[in-house]
Amino acid sequence: MRDQSYYNKTRIIFIFLGGVLLLFLIAPLVGMFLSVKAPLLFDAIKDQQVTSSITRTLLISFIATMFCSLFALPLAYILARKKFPLKGVVEAIIDIPIVIPHSAAGIAVLGFISRDSVVGSVASSLGFNLVGSTAAIGIAMAFVSIPFLITSARDGFAAVPQRLERAAETLGASPFKVFTKISLPLAKRSVVSGMVLMFARGMSEFGAIVIVAYHPMTTPVLIFDRFNSFGLDYARPIAAIFIVVTVVIFLIMRIYQKR
Amino acid sequence: MLLNIKDLICKAGDFILGPVNISLERGSYLALFGPSGSGKSLFLETIAGIRRAESGSIMIDGNECIYLPPQKRPVAMLFQDYALFPHLSVFENIAFALKMRGEDKVHQIKRVDELCRYLSIEKLKSREPDSLSGGEKQRVALARAIAPEPLILLLDEPLSALDENLRGEASELLRKINLLGITIIHVTHNKEEIAGVASQTQHFPPESKF
Repeated sequence: MRDQSYYNKTRIIFIFLGGVLLLFLIAPLVGMFLSVKAPLLFDAIKDQQVTSSITRTLLISFIATMFCSLFALPLAYILARKKFPLKGVVEAIIDIPIVIPHSAAGIAVLGFISRDSVVGSVASSLGFNLVGSTAAIGIAMAFVSIPFLITSARDGFAAVPQRLERAAETLGASPFKVFTKISLPLAKRSVVSGMVLMFARGMSEFGAIVIVAYHPMTTPVLIFDRFNSFGLDYARPIAAIFIVVTVVIFLIMRIYQKR
Repeated sequence: MLLNIKDLICKAGDFILGPVNISLERGSYLALFGPSGSGKSLFLETIAGIRRAESGSIMIDGNECIYLPPQKRPVAMLFQDYALFPHLSVFENIAFALKMRGEDKVHQIKRVDELCRYLSIEKLKSREPDSLSGGEKQRVALARAIAPEPLILLLDEPLSALDENLRGEASELLRKINLLGITIIHVTHNKEEIAGVASQTQHFPPESKF
């Protein structure tokens, strides 16, 4: 009896603490949506700059995700399957973008693509100026978000039983076919989750992008710009629209994962 | 001689197996029995090419296979838990090896139909592996293994995952596979399991020293 009441008390305390945290996460968002003035919201929906910034943000993040997947998935597979010297160092390098401030990441990327760098000078000789371009936005997005893809895909590949890959090898599959026909389909859920996370993280990036390319404006930069120039009332509708887009993407991901 | 294994040494971590010497005639059924941890699976995996041998020779049908990758060896393996691909249907599992070898769709369908008839699993073709019983899984795994017509079929404790009442039927099935002319090496820790199935039995590891 005493045990039961002790258990109930524990459960009530846990529910209360968890509830406070959920409230902390939900309250600012709900407050923001309630504070949006309808005329300003409709203006924002019709605003060409807003719609084009959202399209630009989604498109660049999508392209960055797809392009980076070509490099990230093989690396994730190697990390899941192979033991090699300095593997811990490689894993730590992959996590660096998560732990450093994103403004610092922006400074690092800017140094990497500026005209006096190797990459920047090669691009410049081909007639491209990377700084302030959509490519710079894509590079900044990829830099800060790629760890999410690699980590999720690595965990997905690690969960694929190795004996299935071995069975495929004995049935005539080359290592590449084993990857494409067995490992990748079986890790699909984690790989897609990682891609969606990378895409979502990339499109919500502000700190690194604002340093490498203020223009053309992505939506997070536009929200900051409107806030800086016109104040909270004008930034809020764009933030609300962008949050809705982000939440829809996350909902799709959750539904996919639960299937 | 179809298979001639000479002074084969295999290693897995600190465990060293061998040197092992085994010779087999075409169409024979060799049963190797030994205790758990004696390296039976390691031995089969080395013949299949999944593990690299430390030294020695594996001659199959007159060709040295020790340096060949698994996909180039004329060997198939039935894994202890069958290792069916859960994301593929029974048909796709059985046709997997044929597809990997670039066989056309018509030949794939013909061969899968032929094997399904032979192993009485015609009704399972569209099913997912997870929906099959242990006995059905074994039949599908056998069909998948012999689909590309391997010279040698390696069986790793093929009856251990089956209920007692299914083992007799499964042993019969293995004999039936052997009748197709496929040479079989069957490893097990259970001597009773191979009674009456194999044409030769041997304790494992044979001629080995640790």
